Amino acid sequence: MDLGASIALPILITVFGLMLGEKLPRAFRAGVTIGIGFIGIGLIIGLLFGKVGPAAQGLADRFNVDLTIVDVGWPASAAIAFGSKVGAIIIPICLLMNIFLLAVGLTKTFDIDLWNYWHFAFIGGLVAAITESYAKGIVTALIAMMLTLALADWAAPRIQAHYDYPDISFPHGTSAAYAILAYPLNWVFDRIPGFNKLKADPESIQKRFGIFGETTMLGLFIGLALGVAGFGLDKPREDIIAILGLGITLAAVMLLLPRMVAILMEGLVPISEAARSFVGKRFPGRKFYIGLDSAVVIGQPAVIATSLILVPVTLLTAIALAPLGNKVFPLVDLATIPFIVCLMVPIFGGNIIRSVAGGAILIGGGLFIATAIAPTLTEVAVSSGFNNETGGTISSLVDGANPMTGLFYWLSDIGGWTGIGILGAITLAISIFVKMKVKHNISSSVSH
Amino acid sequence: MTKKVLVICGTGVATSTVVAIKIKDFCSSRGIPVVVTQGKVMDIVRGIEGYDLIVATTPIPSTVKIPVIQGLSFLTGIGNEATLEKIAQALS
Repeated sequence: MDLGASIALPILITVFGLMLGEKLPRAFRAGVTIGIGFIGIGLIIGLLFGKVGPAAQGLADRFNVDLTIVDVGWPASAAIAFGSKVGAIIIPICLLMNIFLLAVGLTKTFDIDLWNYWHFAFIGGLVAAITESYAKGIVTALIAMMLTLALADWAAPRIQAHYDYPDISFPHGTSAAYAILAYPLNWVFDRIPGFNKLKADPESIQKRFGIFGETTMLGLFIGLALGVAGFGLDKPREDIIAILGLGITLAAVMLLLPRMVAILMEGLVPISEAARSFVGKRFPGRKFYIGLDSAVVIGQPAVIATSLILVPVTLLTAIALAPLGNKVFPLVDLATIPFIVCLMVPIFGGNIIRSVAGGAILIGGGLFIATAIAPTLTEVAVSSGFNNETGGTISSLVDGANPMTGLFYWLSDIGGWTGIGILGAITLAISIFVKMKVKHNISSSVSH
Repeated sequence: MTKKVLVICGTGVATSTVVAIKIKDFCSSRGIPVVVTQGKVMDIVRGIEGYDLIVATTPIPSTVKIPVIQGLSFLTGIGNEATLEKIAQALS
C-alpha cells in the first residue's frame, strides 16, 4: 500500500522548508497543514463521487447521454498532482530549473508562485502513470515548466500593456497555454465577414448573467437539474428527496472544495516565502519579471463577462458533444473558466464576442482531451491516496482539458523518449525565439 | 469595534490566502481587532454589503461601493509595508 499524500507530504514539506532556511516549528506546522488540506479534499471528492455518480449513470441509462466522467475541478486536480510521485519533489526541482533558466538567460520570469507548480506535476504525474516511468514523468514536468515560462515571457509585453501591470508575467499552466492559441484564432476571426465587427458590453452581461458567477447557486441548480434528469419522478417521494439531496450536496461541494484547498495553500505560504528570500539572497539586484498567478487579472470586466456566458455554453457544449465521444460532465471547473480565458481576452483586444467564441472552441476540443486522460488521472488519484470506493472515473477542465496537457500526454505515450525529445526540442526552439523577440522589444523601447 | 475585511481574488483561495494571512498577522501585531474573510470576484459582480474594507489582488467590479485597497504588493513583495499602512489607516 502506498503511503498517500496526506502522510508523505507533511514530512517532505518539513524537510524542504528546513533546507530553505525555515525554522523547524514553522516548517513542521506548514507540513501538517498541507496534510490536513489533503484529508479535507479527499473527503469532499468522496462526497462528490457518491452523490453525482448514480445520477450521471441514470442520465446515461435514461437518455443515452453518457457523461459519467465527473469533473472534480482544479482543487482536486492540484491535490492529485501534488500527491503524485512526481508532485512530491516538484517544488525543489522546478525551483532549481527556474534558477538555471534565469542564469543561462532562457527566461526572464522568476516564478515565485510555488502553488502553481502543480500544473507541471499534473502533466508529469499523468506521463509517469501512462508510460510507467518515473524518469519520463520528471523530465516532462520540467519541459512543461520551461515551455510555460517561455509562453509567459512571450505574452508578457502585450499583457502588461493591456492590464497595466509592469514587470509581471503569468507563468500559469492553465492560462499561458490558451493565450498562445488565441493568436491563430484571432487571425481567423479577423477574416470572417460580419463576425469581425461584432462587439458586446461587459456591464450589461454582468447584470444579466451574474447568477452564473455565484458558484453555490450554480451547484444547486445543476444538482437539481441533474437529479430530475437522472432520477426521474417515477417514485415521487423517494425521487424528490434524492433530487433535493443532490442539489444541496453540489452546492456544498462548490463551496467546500475550494475551502479545503485554501488550507493546503495556507501551509504552502511559509514555504513560498522561504523560497523567495532564498532566491532573493542569491540573485541580489538581478532584474526579472515576477511570475504570478493569473488570478490577479480575473476581475477585469471583459474576463468576468466572457466567463459568465461560457458557463451555460460549456454545459450545452458538453451535452452536444456527448454523441461524438465526450464523456465529461463539467461541474467544479465551471467556476474556473475565468482562468481559461483571462489571458486570451487581451489577445482578442478585450472583445467579448471573440473571447466567448474562442473559449467555446478550445473548451469544446478540450473536453475530448479530458475524456482521454480520465482513466489515467483516476489511477494517479487512487495511488495518491484518494479513496475511490464507488469505482467512478474523474477528470477536470483545469488542467484535464488543457491543450498542453493533451500534447504532452499524447506525445510521451505514443513516442516514449523520442516523443519527449521532440517536446524538449520544440520548447527549446520557442524559448530561444522568445529570448530574441523579448530582447528586441526592450531595446526598441530604449531607443525611443 | 471589530472591523470586517473581505479579501478578494480570482478563486477566493489561492492569492487571497496569502493576503489574508498577512493582514491577520499585521492586525494582531498592531492590536487592531479584525475578521478577515476570503472570497472570489465572480461572487460579487452584482454588488456586496456588510464589510468595512475590501483588499483585492484583482480588479473589482464598479457595482461594489465598499472602499477597495489593491493588494498586489503582497504577492510581488514590492511595497508591502506601504499597503499595510494604508490598510491600518482605512481601519482606524
